[in-house]
Amino acid sequence: MSGSGYDAVVDVDDDGDLGHTDLQEDLEFHNSNFNDTTPGARKAPSSGLPPPVTASTSSGKRMLWTISFYAQYFDVDTSAVLSRCWAALYPRANFLDVLEGNSDLYGPFWIATTVVLILFLGGTISQYLAQTGDHPFAYDFKLLSGAAGLIYGYTLFIPIVLYLALRYFGSESANLLECWALYGYANLIWVPVALISWSPITILNWVFVAIGFGVSVFFLLRNLYPVLSATDRQTSKILLVVVIALHMGLSLTIKILFFAHGSPVASNPDGGSGGD
Amino acid sequence: MVGASSRDNYANPSLDDDGLIDPDDADINDFDDPLGHQTSRQPLTGNIGSAPGGGSSSSSSRPLNQSAWTSRIPGEDRSAPQNTIDESVWETLRRDLLAVWAKMREVLYPKYLLGGTMFDADGLRGAYANIRGAGLAGAREEITGLANRFMDSEALLSQNNMTSGLRDWDLWGPLIFCLLLSLLLSFNARADQKDVVFSGVFAMVWIGEAVVTLQIKLLGGSISFAQSVCIIGYTLFPLVIAALLSALGIPTVARIPVYLFLVAWSLAAGVSILGGSGVVKNRVAIAVYPLLVFYLGLGCLCFIS
Repeated sequence: MSGSGYDAVVDVDDDGDLGHTDLQEDLEFHNSNFNDTTPGARKAPSSGLPPPVTASTSSGKRMLWTISFYAQYFDVDTSAVLSRCWAALYPRANFLDVLEGNSDLYGPFWIATTVVLILFLGGTISQYLAQTGDHPFAYDFKLLSGAAGLIYGYTLFIPIVLYLALRYFGSESANLLECWALYGYANLIWVPVALISWSPITILNWVFVAIGFGVSVFFLLRNLYPVLSATDRQTSKILLVVVIALHMGLSLTIKILFFAHGSPVASNPDGGSGGD
Repeated sequence: MVGASSRDNYANPSLDDDGLIDPDDADINDFDDPLGHQTSRQPLTGNIGSAPGGGSSSSSSRPLNQSAWTSRIPGEDRSAPQNTIDESVWETLRRDLLAVWAKMREVLYPKYLLGGTMFDADGLRGAYANIRGAGLAGAREEITGLANRFMDSEALLSQNNMTSGLRDWDLWGPLIFCLLLSLLLSFNARADQKDVVFSGVFAMVWIGEAVVTLQIKLLGGSISFAQSVCIIGYTLFPLVIAALLSALGIPTVARIPVYLFLVAWSLAAGVSILGGSGVVKNRVAIAVYPLLVFYLGLGCLCFIS
């Protein structure tokens, strides 16, 4: 009742005095995004320009089923995405500072898609190199669905579980979008890893996967630690261990499913459920 | 006898004059000129307005500048003559196939990249003549021009690619190409995975089209959902060629350059949905990237088949 009243007010009075509502903040943000090419100055105060084309929320209501509602989660531009990717691969500052409170879902989704594709290709090449005999090589389509299930499932569900756990244990600062963004951008390291680990040398593949695991788990822990430590000491320890264990499960699954060279894949096709 | 002659009178003028927009008959003015910014509606509207055959009471009350996608017969085949009940089945099919073919030619020619239209002297043939005439220097000039236009997202965004033929979208082309792609890819799959590959590719194509379109809309582009799905579906044609080559089993070494070219062709044609969509300039790259992933994924699937 009162919520719909708010919507109506903002709808009528577009540049009104409701500066503290999130809707007004969103309009402000769109303005600055349209003009600035530098990623650092994205939250500059409004310069009074008319709302750009992208500010489709200017029509007022943000219904859950309209596209403009979801457009706020994809409110990034090219330089922002690139700088976030770079910050994920080469972490210098806390990633949540890089996000500047504007976590996007573009990165997580398309990074996951890229990882799925490259894992499938790498796995196929690896199988191709591993095959013996003179019969013609045929690729395994289940590798693609396995990669999609593994990566999408891990990136989608683990942050939800983590968020619910954090909320349950009383952390007020937990944010589901930030969890998704963290896990999504942490996946980025698997792109270079999958690109180089198609070779048939087993020890090299273990090293590469270990590097991938190390980088992504370091990234996750570094950025999750302030959030996790908001809970009490015992719980945060347990959560840390669970996060590490799950991530190790993902890494092992990737190694065994895609870069295994033969035997475990053929005998154990059900290994894909380890990640989630 | 009488019936036949009346049918001829009936079918001929409307099929030839106003209904079917055949690019073979169209002159340069009927196509969208990427340099000038006039809408492509102008010549087409004149065509419809001056049509002699369809003048009924309803069409005379209609204003002349009504847009191209409003059909005289609402809800029916827009390129058909008024009465389709007494024509042969082959005529109906032929008209639909011709419409698919015409649309395919419009979609697959990346206008912003090569300039002009396919049958324009400034277009592909112009470039070819230029290369032949000026030798190496001319070729280099053409290639730098191409590269410049490829990087120039401004030009891509500013022009409106929605020609009259593309405005009335259909899903025949997407359906046909999607089925062909799935079928051709499933030929070379493992014996126990043929059904999985068919359904997987089919689902991948449609979900991919939907997701890519949705992503562009989420990034602030104002494109019509079905129209974009239609265009992306028609741009699957180069990948169908790739799948056909794979099904015929050409050697791996020859596949790499050919498939790269085919994927690039698809991408260059598919990017045209961004034209006039209102995606701001510094988001063009992240709007193109989903398309790239989509085409590259299907291309890789063709490659390893």
